[in-house]
Amino acid sequence: MDGASSIGPWVPVAASEDVVPRHVFQGKLSGQELAIWRADDGYVNVWENRCLHRGVRLSIGVNTGTELVCQYHGWRYANRNAGCTYIPAHPADAPPRTICNRTYPVHEANGLIWTHLGDAGDAAPESLPEEPLVLRAVPLNAAPADVSAALEGFAPDEGMAHRGGLFFSDGISSLQLYVQPMDAGQSVIRGYVTGPLAAQGLALLRRLNTALTAFARQAEAEARAKPAPAPIPPVYGRVSAELAEMPEMTAGPGKIRVTVAAKTMVAEGIVSLELRPLRGVLPAFQPGAHIDVALPNGLVRQYSLVNGPGETDRYIIGVKREAQSAGGSLAIHDHLKAGDLLAISEPRNNFPLRRNAEETIFLAGGIGVTPMLAMAAAMAGDGQNCRLHYFAAGPDHLAFAERLAALGERLTSHLGLDPAGTTAALKAILSDPGPARQVYVCGPGPMLDAARSIAAEQGWPESAVHFEYFRNTHQIDDSSSFEIALARSAVTLQVPAGKSILQVLRENGVAMASSCGQGACGTCRVKVLEGIPDHQDVYLNNTERAANTTIMTCVSRAKSDRLVLDI
Amino acid sequence: MLRLYDYDLSGNCYKARLLLAILGVDYERKNVDFFPGFKHREPEFLAINPLGQLPVLEDGDLRIAQSAAILVYIARRFDPSGLWYPLDTPDRTGQTQQWLGFAEGLTATASAARLADGMGFDFDADAARAGAHRLLAVMDEHLWFQERQGQGWLVSGEAPTVADIACFPYVMLSEEGGIPRETYPAIRRWSDRVKRIPGFVVMPGIFPAILGSQ
Repeated sequence: MDGASSIGPWVPVAASEDVVPRHVFQGKLSGQELAIWRADDGYVNVWENRCLHRGVRLSIGVNTGTELVCQYHGWRYANRNAGCTYIPAHPADAPPRTICNRTYPVHEANGLIWTHLGDAGDAAPESLPEEPLVLRAVPLNAAPADVSAALEGFAPDEGMAHRGGLFFSDGISSLQLYVQPMDAGQSVIRGYVTGPLAAQGLALLRRLNTALTAFARQAEAEARAKPAPAPIPPVYGRVSAELAEMPEMTAGPGKIRVTVAAKTMVAEGIVSLELRPLRGVLPAFQPGAHIDVALPNGLVRQYSLVNGPGETDRYIIGVKREAQSAGGSLAIHDHLKAGDLLAISEPRNNFPLRRNAEETIFLAGGIGVTPMLAMAAAMAGDGQNCRLHYFAAGPDHLAFAERLAALGERLTSHLGLDPAGTTAALKAILSDPGPARQVYVCGPGPMLDAARSIAAEQGWPESAVHFEYFRNTHQIDDSSSFEIALARSAVTLQVPAGKSILQVLRENGVAMASSCGQGACGTCRVKVLEGIPDHQDVYLNNTERAANTTIMTCVSRAKSDRLVLDI
Repeated sequence: MLRLYDYDLSGNCYKARLLLAILGVDYERKNVDFFPGFKHREPEFLAINPLGQLPVLEDGDLRIAQSAAILVYIARRFDPSGLWYPLDTPDRTGQTQQWLGFAEGLTATASAARLADGMGFDFDADAARAGAHRLLAVMDEHLWFQERQGQGWLVSGEAPTVADIACFPYVMLSEEGGIPRETYPAIRRWSDRVKRIPGFVVMPGIFPAILGSQ
């Protein structure tokens, strides 16, 4: 049978053995350069060989095992979804989720990595019953069509005869060759041997390499007699509008359908959900990101993603059973089961992690450990200096034991402390502020308040202390009424008592992203151009509040009669 | 104190810097303005090396020129393990010398193309490129079959040798002479291994393979 025509548009562009751990293979298909790399979880990525930032080849970048880092300005792209996870020049900002490298379909079978440049849909090559013996790839400067035609006359000299296409056999063992078109005048011959002959291993590989190299020199000599074809100009994907602009502000629950692949108790009163996509690839996320989960009882809740860089085939969240809650956690604990479907939002990151600190301290209280696990894994994976202090009621309350164990000496647990004990521990941990140190805090309100005030007392700059509250426990005072002017839209609206800015905006057709609805998550943050906000959120730090340049539109209001917003 | 007559952009000088860094040897650098100053052709430097070539290593009264000789000297003088210049078997000594000779071929081809393209030297760049591709194809084939036998280095054995150091710079700088390496995947993997040798240092045009290295 004709091997070349049976594979449709799928073409082998590397051998599995070429794509070794922590390496970036440089490939090329029809003039299109490829960066091919295997993550530590085994997944092979085939990407356009070009950083979205300055176009530098990603094949000279660094494969960290979970991310590919551009050599030029350090932009990081995640395994599998190719989303940009970090921009070192903007360490305090989360990169827009829409910055995503161009990926090509990947299929690994028969010791080869396959891809194609067309639309997906054709069947990928099937795996043979046994892994074949893969030949050394032989590159040559000759047109792919000429090489394919000449190869039909190739004599492997192993007692095998040509049986059509690029398939040779002696009836028991067989040799299958493929021609990878690198460019108009550049090809690579790949192939493998199956059957008893393959057991000869190295000796056979040497003989076939000699035979194919001799063939290649002959084909190159013939190609030199012809005029050289012009190289195929590479096609660069258009940069999406979102890359230059802000991402769309229309997120919300319900956009993505996932299956609950596993539901596991990971500590006293804490359940972990592993969410996998029904189809396709989950959107990129960064450490610190959260998703909205639409629960079967109609409630929408926010949960931080626990999984670290590279774990891009799933989202993992941790949910604490809250007896006094409105029913969000109970719906998950008592009613949700493995196999159920859920609607979730795309991840948002309002708690971005700087990766350029000399030392990073993570303070987690109870279920507040969830974003910290992702952050600490990202730092630890790069061998960076960080420490996770985990405050919990007792050893049974320490969640995600395996992930904690992976942190090794970077983890310190503080168990069963009363408020005074917690304060003393926080004072000790935060005793030594330094210019290149960063602190991240997530946990119950009182612990956050204590950590923030201790940090301030002991001389930590506010810009070095990052926090995320679960919820806003303050009573919201919505008795004021005022005017908002939307500077970019040239619209003026009245906000009456009893309604939030966000509600008024939405009632007037302004599409606004929001998430928690209580001033804790930062999603509905808007720039203030004029006027004095009445801050009622728990997202902004004191400096940001005093600056009066941003506002959480879901809870905060105005002290002045008028606010001018950058909408 | 050792003294190295050195030039930043020279791959041959980088060979000496690389092995000295890996072995943790302190030395003094004496910069010679090779381009655009052509100070290596002036009497002051010709008194040090009448051939007018960089690098030159001074160790007390001893003066050694030519990068391969300098590598062998550094290895014999500062590597008590004897791994970098193997004298354990005649095979391995012979293979090491063979690849030191091969590295001279890279200097005559890949480096010549780079000097022609980058610094305007009057060499036949196309002939140099064709010659470099012939060498790189042989090296890639050798390294591919080494990998199949569980060997990571040019000379068989557990550890790298001066042969790897000698061949590394002008392979890595080949693109500056218009010689892409996309058809040499085994060389690309080998170069990642060289970059992961503890103590590895970079030079302009050669990037690290891990984060956080200099």
